[in-house]
Amino acid sequence: MLEIQDLHVAVDGRPILKGLSLRVRPGEVHAVMGPNGSGKSTLAFVLAGREGYEVTAGSARFGDEDLLALEPEERARAGLFLAMQYPVEIPGVANMYFLRQSLNAVRKSRGLDEIPAAEFMRKVREQARLLGIGEELLKRDLNAGFSGGEKKRNEILQMAILEPRLAILDETDSGLDIDALKTVADGVNRLRAPDRAFLVITHYQRLLDYIVPDVVHVLADGRIQRTGGPELARELEERGYEAVLGGRLAA
Amino acid sequence: MSVAANRRRVDPDPAFARAFEEAASRLPGARFPELATARERAIARFVELGIPTQRDEAWKFTPVARLVNRPHAVRPPSEPPLERVLPHLLGGPKARRLVFVNGVLQPQWSHVGGLPERASIESLARVLETRPTAVLEELAEPDQGRSFTALNAALTDCGAWIELSPGTELADPVQLLFLTVAGASAPMSHPRIVLRLGAGARLALIESHVGLEPGPALTNLVFGARLQEGATLAHDRLLFQAAEAAFVGRAEVHLGGASRYEQTTLALGGALLRSESEVSIEGGEVECRLCGLAVPREGEHVDTFVRVHHRAPASHSDQLFKSVVEERGHHAFAGKIFVHPGAQRTNAYQKNENLLLAEDGEVDVKPELEIYADDVKCSHGATCSELDPSALFYLRARGLDAATARGLLTWAFAAELLGRLADPSARAAARRALAARLPAGAPADEEAAA
Ligand SMILES: Nc1ncnc2c1ncn2[C@@H]1O[C@H](COP(=O)(O)OP(=O)(O)OP(=O)(O)O)[C@@H](O)[C@H]1O
Ligand SMILES: [Mg+2]
Repeated sequence: MLEIQDLHVAVDGRPILKGLSLRVRPGEVHAVMGPNGSGKSTLAFVLAGREGYEVTAGSARFGDEDLLALEPEERARAGLFLAMQYPVEIPGVANMYFLRQSLNAVRKSRGLDEIPAAEFMRKVREQARLLGIGEELLKRDLNAGFSGGEKKRNEILQMAILEPRLAILDETDSGLDIDALKTVADGVNRLRAPDRAFLVITHYQRLLDYIVPDVVHVLADGRIQRTGGPELARELEERGYEAVLGGRLAA
Repeated sequence: MSVAANRRRVDPDPAFARAFEEAASRLPGARFPELATARERAIARFVELGIPTQRDEAWKFTPVARLVNRPHAVRPPSEPPLERVLPHLLGGPKARRLVFVNGVLQPQWSHVGGLPERASIESLARVLETRPTAVLEELAEPDQGRSFTALNAALTDCGAWIELSPGTELADPVQLLFLTVAGASAPMSHPRIVLRLGAGARLALIESHVGLEPGPALTNLVFGARLQEGATLAHDRLLFQAAEAAFVGRAEVHLGGASRYEQTTLALGGALLRSESEVSIEGGEVECRLCGLAVPREGEHVDTFVRVHHRAPASHSDQLFKSVVEERGHHAFAGKIFVHPGAQRTNAYQKNENLLLAEDGEVDVKPELEIYADDVKCSHGATCSELDPSALFYLRARGLDAATARGLLTWAFAAELLGRLADPSARAAARRALAARLPAGAPADEEAAA
């Protein structure tokens, strides 16, 4: 589903990703862990198509498409979703209006008709209830004045409505209280499906207790330094990056 | 007076004085010698003052002479068809209204009947005929060197005189609609609005200036309002001039204690829209809110000039002015808050946000504070930026194409000001005008989702 090969990315001329390779198959959940500043968000943004990230070498394929050649909206329509570490506040754009436009844009590219308003609201209310998002939040402007946790839930709500093929969750767990973490993890687990994959970026084992990954990667110094099963995450939690990666953490 | 002798002014085109001479005898109130004399003095004063150049600090950003210093006709007749006028009749079915075309009252579209006894709404032309001394007093107010005020005094021919006695409240809005049909005639009109609200009186006023045909034209407005203790005025202003037309307007507002004044101006069309507001807060517990949106494009120039004076303690003023500047558009904002001695516990805020969408657009800002009291809360801030790239990315990452995302963010920025208009029909009209102006229009089926 996602095949990244030897990806090199620079920001402002400074190399951040330095030969990253990763392969995610349909139905899999991959966790990406790594120290602050190691390039996890950079990876997420470059996959989603944000400007300012210069690919200097390597490739990324999504299904049978050259992901890096697509505009951000084309990636979203092809089924890629990025739940951002810091969702942007957009006052003046109503949360529900935005979500409906977004869903219709994605549906249109899949050859589907626009979703009828009533069906849309029914779907949103159902998901919002499951995610513990109040009616009042749905009526507000997009993320405007939302608390950190509310923003993260709103990202998961968008994901649930857009039903992507590949979801990248960038520290969706940070800033969540313990109950919210569980709610959000349940939201992700409900979406797990044989034809859907997840790339879960996190610092904490706790999220991975709920969303049990198939594969765990450690990203450091711009590369995947180690890959393993769920036990790798526990090892990191116990011993820290320094010890687990040993001499590989040069910088 | 030569240009060289005083470069802050240029001599007016002699056509102004000629137009005055030619029109003087048919201006309303012409049969009263005192009025005629006052008008003659005013035109002489205008010629003496000249038209300000950009060396005049108050006109620093605006080459007004280039647009208005040309021959204009006084009250050229025109009869626009009803269907062109209809969309601009605002305030709901029970609104009272005066409609003017090129400065001439249109009785067929105007009605101010059924007023409570203690309220009066008269066309200015009528007051000039029936109570000339009242108007004379207004015209005698010193112009303080403002040549357009002098020009208005010389030629004022339309507008309204509105008085509400203490405690009087009009449930429905009053609309003053000034239509300009330019065509080949290059009309000019000089509306004057006099508004007096007694203690506790309440009024919603919609002031519309609409151009129905492109072509050179000048609207030169003088607006004066006095609110007594506890009075409330909601003042919606729609400036929808046609291409090549100029609007020069000055609003002077005096606010008594505990009065409430909300002015919202939408500047959506016209070669030049100069909107000057000077508010004097003369009592405590006043709530004053001034807002505006300008969307200049294609050589259009909007000049927003605001002065707020706090002359009494414990009042509150708040300004929010925004612009969306498109290709070759120019917005100038100059706003100044004065906190005069003794005006302790003043809260005064000013925010000016400009969204520059084109490289060849231009924004000039000049925010100022002048404070002579120590116990005050004042702030001002001005920004000029492009659309936020992280917001654009967020929307695109959810599947919206770049043009839609840009359109949505631009709309979101501008539409905040629609919400500040007090009257729903004014809001709807402004919404249509704004949608027609912004490249991506209004967001698709926004209402359906709302
Ligand atoms: N837009 C940018 N401008 C400048 N530097 C950037 C930018 N984006 C990322 N970087 C730099 O790239 C490096 C990697 O940042 P990135 O955000 O990808 O790290 P991360 O692994 O997500 O860290 P964290 O765990 O703190 O979220 C950092 O040194 C960061 O300062
Ligand atoms: Mg990060």
